[in-house]
Parts: sequence; C-alpha cells; structure tokens
Amino acid sequence: MRIKILGLFGLAATVLFLAGFQLPSLPVPLPSGPVPSSPVPAAPVPVPSEAGKAISVGTKAGQKAMVAAKGISDSEEYYIGRAVAARLLARNSLSQNRDAITYVNEVGQTVAQKSSMPRTYRGYHFGILETSEPNAYACPGGLILITRGLIKECQNEDELAAVLAHEVAHVAHKDGVKSINKARWTEVLTSTGAEAARQYGGGVAGSLVSMFESSIDDVFKTLVVNGYSREAEANADREAVTTLTRAGYDPGALAAILSRLSSRGGSGGIFRSHPLTAERVQAVKMLVREGAPNAQEQARTKRFQQVKF
Amino acid sequence: MRRPGYLSGPGLWVLLLLLVGLLAGFSPSMAETLKVERANTQLYQSPSFGGTTLGTVPAGSEVAVMSRSGDWVQVNYQGKTGWVHKTAFPQASSMQLPGMLTGGPVRETKSDEVALAGKGFTPEVEAGYRQKNPGLNYAQVDQVEQFQVNPAQLAAFNKEGGLTP
Repeated sequence: MRIKILGLFGLAATVLFLAGFQLPSLPVPLPSGPVPSSPVPAAPVPVPSEAGKAISVGTKAGQKAMVAAKGISDSEEYYIGRAVAARLLARNSLSQNRDAITYVNEVGQTVAQKSSMPRTYRGYHFGILETSEPNAYACPGGLILITRGLIKECQNEDELAAVLAHEVAHVAHKDGVKSINKARWTEVLTSTGAEAARQYGGGVAGSLVSMFESSIDDVFKTLVVNGYSREAEANADREAVTTLTRAGYDPGALAAILSRLSSRGGSGGIFRSHPLTAERVQAVKMLVREGAPNAQEQARTKRFQQVKF
Repeated sequence: MRRPGYLSGPGLWVLLLLLVGLLAGFSPSMAETLKVERANTQLYQSPSFGGTTLGTVPAGSEVAVMSRSGDWVQVNYQGKTGWVHKTAFPQASSMQLPGMLTGGPVRETKSDEVALAGKGFTPEVEAGYRQKNPGLNYAQVDQVEQFQVNPAQLAAFNKEGGLTP
C-alpha cells in the first residue's frame, strides 16, 4: 500500500519535472518577447510605466543603430555597381573579343573563388575595356573591368590573375561603396525607412534618384579620379597575395606587374586610381616568401600567349 | 519493513522516467538552424565551389547545421545534405549572439531590413537614374553580366593550369 502511494507521487512528480524541462526546449529558436531570466518567476515584478517606456525607447534606438551599421544592402550595392559600370562603359566600350573575354573570366573566376568573398549578390563578371590606357576598375557588387592596355602590360597568366585578385579584393572589402559620403548615406537611410514611407506615401521619390546619382558620383570619383586610400590599396594587395597563393598562382606575380607599371612612370590613370608608390611595391615584395617555381607556370604562360587580346 | 522495495516496482520506473526526462530536456537545444540570406545560394556535394551542385537554396530558407569545415557549413535542407559557403549567412556571426542574449530585438530588426531593402536603391530607382542620364551604357552592363564560366569549364581550366580546384 505504502509503495503504491509512493509510486503515484513519483509519477506525478515525474510528469511535473518533465514538463518543466521540456517547455524551454520547445522548437522556438527566437522568442519575440524578452526571455525571462528564470523559467518559473517567483513573483511578478511590477515595472513602472516610465521605466517600461525607457526600455522600449532604448530598444528602438538599438535597432536604428543596427540598421545604420548594416548600411548598404547587397542588392543596393549591386545597383550602385551597375551604374558605375554604365558610366565607365560610356567612356570606353566593351571588347567583343570572345576568346579574350572567356579567358579573362576563367582567370577572374579562379581568383574570385579563392578570395574572402567568393560569392556576391549577382556574382563576379569580368569585362575588357577597349582602350590602350592601362587600368582596372572594381565596380561594387562584382563587375570588374580591365583595360586592354593593362592586359597587354601583363607578361603571363599569373600577372593577369594578380591584377584581377587585387580588384576582387576591392569588391570584397567594399572599398567602392565605402567612399559614399557618410552624411548622404544617413540621409538615404532615414528617408527610406518605414516611417518615411508612411509619411510620403508610395512611389519612387525624385529625391531618392538624386541621392542615388550623388552616391554614384562619390564611387566614380574614388574609382577613377581620386583613387583609393593607401590603406585600402595595402589591404587589397595583402588579400591578393593570399588569394593567389590559395589558387595556386605565383604570389610574386603581383610584385612583378606592379614594379613594371611603376617603372613606366606617369601620373594619371592607374597611378591615380590605384596609388602606385615604391613603398607599395616594396611592401608587396615583403609579403611573398621565395618559393620553388610552379612546374605548370609554363603551361599557363603558353595559354596566355595564345590569346589574341 | 521492506526497505529495498523503494527501488523496485513503480519506484524504479520513476527513476528511469526521471533520467529519460533529463536527456530529452537537454538534447533538442543543441540543434542549430541558420537562415540563408544570399540569393542563388547553391548546395554543394563537397565543401568546394568546384564540386557538384545538389540544387539551389532560396534566400530566406532555414537550414539545419550539421557540421562546419573552414569557410563551409554542412547543412540539411529539405532532406538533402550538402555544403553551403559561409557567405550565405552574412548575419549569422554578428546577429545571433546579441539576439539570444537580449531576447527580443532580432526579429524586429529583420523586418526593418526588409522594409529598407524594398525602399532603398531598387530597380525603380535605377530606371529613374537611367531616364535622367540617357548617355549611360547600360546595354553593355547587361552584356558583362552575361559572361559566365560554368563549373565544368572552370574545373578543366584549373586542371590544365595546375591550379588548386
């Protein structure tokens, strides 16, 4: 009799115990309300209404800060990149040489996949600009344009890979969109939030197009006129060396192409958009440890020379 | 007075049930799910872009994490197990921890982002910009976006050049 009563008690205790453990582990990964610190609160703690308001305001401010920190979304970056490319292609048209395009995209995809950002919103695509002026441009989102002049400066596939790996690094580091005036971007954020939409109603505001235009100007100025900061260049060089190594290319190829361009001298074009200083070339040389020459390098150089750029 | 009786019959069952309850209560919390945030995310058979693809995981899908290897995450999506590159989860590292620590805000922030994505620089804004600047060469931008290298072609290219697959 005594055992039976004990058993019943035990059963009831077990059911309660199980319920206690099972509840918090129900498949609700992110509860929408604040999680109580203990599953069984001893007594409800009354929250004064003022304090409650303060908490809610604090949470709101936190959300705003997070949105601001997030900045430009992947798709916005993509549309900015398209606009920058459209401006570049208005100055120099796109090469229609199928063999050259295929080859540049093969080399470009090889390094892009070994970069710190192998995938972008709509992927990497590489185009050749019809101009003899040596230069290369990394449009935000992954459209990379290299001039025929710069390809001609390269002596082998590894040097072309080095140039493209450097441009991929600019895309991965978002160096283009980072040049958008911060005050302007804050304006875009505040005018595009849900509250603004409620205030002004639907439809694309002309002001948004103007802000888009100004943002493109900022990126274009950095890519073409003023150039990236020395810090951004150094970071892109560093990543390019890592990328080349991971892909199986000779990382020393970056120093080789940079010192060739640097010895040519000059002031405009690539010297302005990608500041080329003796210190920069020296820094890249320091990054590369001397290694045994890759046996397949000959095969790569051969196929590079077979393409008529 | 049958002291050993406490541990036989129903008493034993109670103990067993307690043990099962403990185990069941703890184990499900170990499973981790991530939300795919990048469009055109591919599920690969092996942790490499050169590998065979098992299909596409649409943005917004929840996947169960099974293991990790370097930049790759092994996931299960709709019964298929494969590898997804970590860049498909840009928010995973930065958002999850603070979200879990503070409780609420994660969901609300997400909906804010959705609003932002719909109201920022969109195809409509691009159309307005093109109308304002008719001299821009968008036709060739569209052409550059068509340049693709399929995985088999790239694998052959890498093999021929002695490059890392």
